[in-house]
Amino acid sequence: MSIAPIAAIANLAVPSVAAPLAATPAAAPAPDFGNLLGESLDKLQGAQDKSDGLAVQAATGDLTDVHDYMIAATEASVATQLTVAVRDKAVGAFNDIMRMQM
Amino acid sequence: MSMFGAIDNAGSGLVVYRKWLDAVSDNVANINDVKSTGENAFQARYVVAQARDYGNGGGAQVAGVAYGNAEGRVVYSPDNPLADADGNVRMPDIDLAEQMGQLIIAQRGYQANLSVVDRARDAYAQALELGK
Repeated sequence: MSIAPIAAIANLAVPSVAAPLAATPAAAPAPDFGNLLGESLDKLQGAQDKSDGLAVQAATGDLTDVHDYMIAATEASVATQLTVAVRDKAVGAFNDIMRMQM
Repeated sequence: MSMFGAIDNAGSGLVVYRKWLDAVSDNVANINDVKSTGENAFQARYVVAQARDYGNGGGAQVAGVAYGNAEGRVVYSPDNPLADADGNVRMPDIDLAEQMGQLIIAQRGYQANLSVVDRARDAYAQALELGK
């Protein structure tokens, strides 16, 4: 029983790798999380200011619609809860990454 | 439509019903006003509600005020100092029962819009519980 000697490997085709595409710069910079958070904080500040202004009107007797203040206070409260929830999620994600095993 | 579209719409409805309540209170307060027959009687106030910016945001608003009959009712009241030579005075043509009906409708409408605010607030608060 003869053992075939090791022969040179013929017709070995090395798949060609396409050159990496040149990085195309994005047309417009995507809004990053920091900007989004900043904008939502500005809106939250606006809602709180509106609520505070109506509270002053209620105290001075200039408030014509009782529900206006209650609605503004409710909106400010919900917006604050939303912002806090987003902040908690972001901090949670950061902590998850920090705990990652290297 | 902002983040609180439902609450903003309900708020506009609350303004409409508040003004309706104001109009009814004005009508009831002036229901016994007496004028001489040479003057116009107190005219009932009726708010005219319309859609605010229909199809784009929504909500309601008061378009204006419609006035009731200026002739009123001519009542024979010879003892009244404002009575004319025939002993007649002019009183507003306002039906108290009808005003009471409007009062109930306006109050219920106000309550309905308040419920919308409350339910929308609950819905948003529950959305914030997502994923907790």
